[in-house]
Amino acid sequence: MNWPQLLVTVVTLGGIFGVVTLALNLQYARGGMINFGIVAYFAIGAYVYAIVTQRGPIGLDQYRFGFDWPWWSGLILAGIAALLFAALTGWPTLRLRGEYLALTTFAFAEVLHSLLLNERRIGNGTVGLANVDRPFSDWGPIEEKYVFAAAAALLLVLTLLAFRRLLSSPYGRALDAIRDDETAALAVGKAAERLRREVFLISAIPVGVAGAVYAMYTTLAQPSLFTAEITFFVWIALVLGGERSLYGVVLGTLGLVLFEEVVRAWPFETVRSAQIAASAEHVLTGLVFIAVLRYQPFQRTVSRLRVAP
Amino acid sequence: MGTNKRKWMRLFAVLFALSLVGAACGDDDSADQQDQDAEETASQPSEDAAGTDSETADETSPPTTEAAERGEVTVGVLVPLTGELGEFGAIVADAIEFGVSEINAAGGTRCGDIRTVVADTGGDAETGIREATNMIESEGAVAILGPTSGVMVPLVDLAHREEVVIMSPYAGTITLNELGGDFVYRTVSSDLGDGAASGLWLSSRGYESVAFLIQNEESTISPAEVARDEVNAAGIKITDFIVYNPGQPSYQAELTTVLANDPDAIFLAGGQESGVTVIKEAVAGGFEGEWLFTADLAVPEIFDAVGADLINDKAFVEFADVDPSLPEFISFEERYDKAGDPFAPNSFDMVTLVALALESAGGCDGAAINGTIRGVADSDGTKVSTFAEGRDVLAAGGTINYEGASGPLVFDASGTVSGAYTIQQAINGEWVNVEFYPASTFDR
Repeated sequence: MNWPQLLVTVVTLGGIFGVVTLALNLQYARGGMINFGIVAYFAIGAYVYAIVTQRGPIGLDQYRFGFDWPWWSGLILAGIAALLFAALTGWPTLRLRGEYLALTTFAFAEVLHSLLLNERRIGNGTVGLANVDRPFSDWGPIEEKYVFAAAAALLLVLTLLAFRRLLSSPYGRALDAIRDDETAALAVGKAAERLRREVFLISAIPVGVAGAVYAMYTTLAQPSLFTAEITFFVWIALVLGGERSLYGVVLGTLGLVLFEEVVRAWPFETVRSAQIAASAEHVLTGLVFIAVLRYQPFQRTVSRLRVAP
Repeated sequence: MGTNKRKWMRLFAVLFALSLVGAACGDDDSADQQDQDAEETASQPSEDAAGTDSETADETSPPTTEAAERGEVTVGVLVPLTGELGEFGAIVADAIEFGVSEINAAGGTRCGDIRTVVADTGGDAETGIREATNMIESEGAVAILGPTSGVMVPLVDLAHREEVVIMSPYAGTITLNELGGDFVYRTVSSDLGDGAASGLWLSSRGYESVAFLIQNEESTISPAEVARDEVNAAGIKITDFIVYNPGQPSYQAELTTVLANDPDAIFLAGGQESGVTVIKEAVAGGFEGEWLFTADLAVPEIFDAVGADLINDKAFVEFADVDPSLPEFISFEERYDKAGDPFAPNSFDMVTLVALALESAGGCDGAAINGTIRGVADSDGTKVSTFAEGRDVLAAGGTINYEGASGPLVFDASGTVSGAYTIQQAINGEWVNVEFYPASTFDR
């Protein structure tokens, strides 16, 4: 097993998905909002980046727009687009709470997925937008994969610091107050609705940017990449890492990605062994999840170190 | 807070140090394992041949330990072993494995024995990219063989970036007509040909009306669009052209519309999972006309899944096929008992071409294969149809023209070969050939 390569992949994907898990943590653990459609904001970021940086359609392409703008403009617009999409979806959905909100956000994500799948003029339908612009290809002596890993790690650290700062401010304490006892918070003049909506919007921005980095990494924006599996993946990471700690969710995500990659990095030299592995992977994953939920290693690590928040 | 920061720094430092130690140990293990594998392969090559090529192994030059001394050259086998195209993935991987066993039994390539690393994509593009990256970065694969259309297109960028040859025996997608050619090849013709063959068949059956039911995938939509043009040109009424999304528990909504127009035949371009449900529901809904399926349903398992009674005599299937009268195919059929499986000859040709390209090239990497693969597939040199023949001619300083079991392999500018097509009919629970369209049919 090639451990350096494994490490690079875990840092890159762990960084990208870690950002999404952090955003989910902010929405759920602090804002009290169950978002089962977070993949939609991730997908919006990826598609906007691809459309902005992609050249115009040629030959058999069926998408209508490709602006061929530089990568950084795609990255910025991905964050803005996710924010706008959060505003659009947040307005009707955030009036709901609990499981109603969960179902509505899930429905929104499915609608977006269906739209991307069937409306070929946006993102080429099922074919998607392939060979998306990768900006880190000519960085001199440093190999592209290391630059990517560093970029993903940087995005994760920036998001972590920003959220940490936000939560340790009076704004964060107001959120905690609303989560703990909304009636009491309202009684002392905290605008619960407005604060929740703001958290929903703020947390969508890094998710959009992470989607853009994901599109760069896979060089692909395709509906099959943005299914409910992503939503459940980050929810599992959140549960594994412990919802009350930002560091815990980062560890949970890195642990989950590491597990997936270790399973995949195992070289199978015969067809039969690869077939058996493909069948056994889900069983093994389930067993590991049960063990992690039973013993909660990530939450224990964080609580042992007594890291705040 | 300061103490916490120090604790975190310490934790990350320990994790980083552990990962580096792990990396060092991991590399050694891997290298040791590869050496061991090379020796095992060199000493027991014919045992890996699944019992089908023991005669070939005896006839070709005896294996030596030279291959082991030279090391190994790794080829990635990236196929769907699960999911809608799982049946095809297994056929392709088995045929590649057979090809590798023949090559290694013949003494291996100039760069050493071929070692395969097999991974399941499940038909998923992201898994495909991650597995392909892993094969290249961790396993040192010089070529990746076997991706389906949906995985192949996203891999084009990776192939160029990493200078690794990517080849498919069944990725017919018309997108590759533009993207393929450099580092990206396929030993199957484009979907445009499939569509033309389907259209030709539908036009020749005397139908007055045909309905099109197409799964929302690149590999099914592109041939269906070409077939629609053919059917239109023949003056046949197209009652419906419905693109449906796979993964639904029922397709009643789509079928209600289709059956209301009572077509003489339904052209079903669907995957194995959705296709089975569509067929069952259509028959239950009263459809008694004929069917034409695309290649995804050209597997024997379909009879068990659907129920042979529902499709016997009424269903036809179209797929890119080989000319069974070709001497190269007949020879392949004698050596490999599963030669008749869809895309098995194309898969065998793919790995043999890679091995011959390595034999002909000055290096042992993807760029070397890319530089010589067209030359060994099509030249004025000696015609050969096995790796051993080609290697001997190349060793004598000659040039070769590989004539594959799937036909003469001449790559066009997009790295695609031209192909022939077969129509089979469901008779007594199995697929039986009823029409063969050679490549020349579509020269227009």
